[in-house]
Amino acid sequence: MTGMTPQAPGRHYLDVWGVAKSFRGTRVMSGMNFRMDRGELVSLLGPSGCGKTTLLRIIAGLMEADEGDVVLGGRNITRLPAHRRNISVVFQNYALFPHLSVAENVAFGLRARGTAKAACAQPVEEALSLVRMDAFAGRPVSALSGGQQQRVAVARALVVQPDLLLLDEPFSALDRKLRETMQVELKALLRDRGITAIFVTHDQEEAMGVSDRIAVMNAGKIEQFADPSTLYARPATPFVMDFVGLSTRLSGRVVQDDGARSIVETGCGLLTAPGGFAPGTPVQIGVRPELISPGEGENTISARLRDVMVLGAKTVLHGEAAGSDRVMCELPGIRGGMTRGDELRLGWSVADTLIHEAAA
Amino acid sequence: MSGRLDRIGLLAVPALGFLAVIYALPLAMLLAKSVQGPEGFSLAEYRAFFADEYNIRVLMRTLRVAALTTVLAFVIAYPTAFAMSRAKGIWLTVFLVALVLPMSLGVVVKAFAWSILFRANGVLNSVLMGIGLTERPVRMLFTETALIVGAANVFLPFMVLPIYSVIRQLDSRLPEAAASLGASPWFRFTRVTLPLSLPGVVAGSAFVFSMAVSMYVIPSLIVGERQQNLSMLIARSFLFLRNEALGSTLAAILLAIAIVVVLGSGWLAARLGARR
Repeated sequence: MTGMTPQAPGRHYLDVWGVAKSFRGTRVMSGMNFRMDRGELVSLLGPSGCGKTTLLRIIAGLMEADEGDVVLGGRNITRLPAHRRNISVVFQNYALFPHLSVAENVAFGLRARGTAKAACAQPVEEALSLVRMDAFAGRPVSALSGGQQQRVAVARALVVQPDLLLLDEPFSALDRKLRETMQVELKALLRDRGITAIFVTHDQEEAMGVSDRIAVMNAGKIEQFADPSTLYARPATPFVMDFVGLSTRLSGRVVQDDGARSIVETGCGLLTAPGGFAPGTPVQIGVRPELISPGEGENTISARLRDVMVLGAKTVLHGEAAGSDRVMCELPGIRGGMTRGDELRLGWSVADTLIHEAAA
Repeated sequence: MSGRLDRIGLLAVPALGFLAVIYALPLAMLLAKSVQGPEGFSLAEYRAFFADEYNIRVLMRTLRVAALTTVLAFVIAYPTAFAMSRAKGIWLTVFLVALVLPMSLGVVVKAFAWSILFRANGVLNSVLMGIGLTERPVRMLFTETALIVGAANVFLPFMVLPIYSVIRQLDSRLPEAAASLGASPWFRFTRVTLPLSLPGVVAGSAFVFSMAVSMYVIPSLIVGERQQNLSMLIARSFLFLRNEALGSTLAAILLAIAIVVVLGSGWLAARLGARR
């Protein structure tokens, strides 16, 4: 390790420090720092190719980092092979052993650690009943549905009492309804057992649903690492704003800034946003759809309705406005009386206005 | 839908007809001779065959050589198939060409090439004597060892390719999952990779064994007449002894061995496959 430990060493349960990785000479990750506490549920969220799976594989020991260290529970595990790390992985396709039964799959980790066959029976049964699969112990894994396979994979990963559980897109192979049920179930299970876990996902709703904190990754870097509400309400970058929920977006230029408030000139006229930008700075204004409502507000724009989507629990208005590439407004419940082509005034407050320096 | 399937099924008719006329019919006529005594049905030829100790020796030698050839081919092929499953681009092409090209060379050419290497004043003996490992030339040609080495060489592709095709399709995440569950490389290999690659091993072994048990040209060229196997005995019965009853009896025994191997390996493969 270098002498540049940024915070008190050992304070964090998992400390990934200065990790770099190249594939065939292409740097996909450099100077990656990532820390989490014991018992936390954290998500690595980002589009495909952002490096989240690379980071997961480096933590698991399935891939070697070119530089940097991985410290888990005060132990530097950087040079340890995967099978000596006591880190379990649940894979996207679950990677159950097709030649073994459900119970043999769950017993695998115990057998690999030298536990006698007879001594495996009880922990295997406990792990299977934990995921409500005890009735399936003797079945071949090919006879299981996707949700059942996932449960077995979780039981197999937990029965060895791992120091850290890694889950690589664990819900992506399930249909939507089952996915939501499994998310609730798994989160409760991990919480109850005090498991420290990292989810890798590209689904922002999933990440917000299952984790205490989310690291939003882009191009091999963590753009923001925060709890779900902060990410949503105060995204640090335009990328985070776009990746975590959709927003109305307007591009503009700061014409005046007194430190507290910025006046921004946009295609829809002057808008006010929280300040701190030099005049002349090109910026992007964003507003979450549920914070916009029809009528006048501290900021108001005119938009033409392009579509009204009645989704039951909410009604989503899509519109277009000058200088904007997306106008969205979400209203609770079912709303009628609006049709495509209507001219609409949409307003919101200055406090709800997100402002970022536009990418060059 | 069933009508459509039936019509596609008709595509097998030429192959079935070809096999029936060219393979099954003459074989049946031949085998019928083995149970035809002077007064109709008789198993006398079989009794006579198994009563003769020489025949039993030939049968056992044939089975032993085939089994050892299969084992040797497996030992060489298994790691090769692994290397091939990891190879990409030009290296995979090199592997495949190296496997397939020698098949076009024909056994006769190979056998004479080996004799250059193995004979008393051949390359290998010159080297052995040159470095002082041996004073007199070691007899290598005309031995069973030479036969097994040569046969394994000829049949190697038939062991490598089935294993390779199974290993290539193995989910690479399975060994990774095993590793993350604490399995050492050896445990991963013996409990995950090896069992999952067994169907390929079974198929390759069935190929090599059934070819080795019935080979004729390779033993004729390498060990000659002094150590006969079943096929050579069959050829001698038909060509020199003009004893069709003996020849067809031997052929029936060889066929029975082949059937046992094919059915046995099919059963084994089905058993191994049933668990996934």
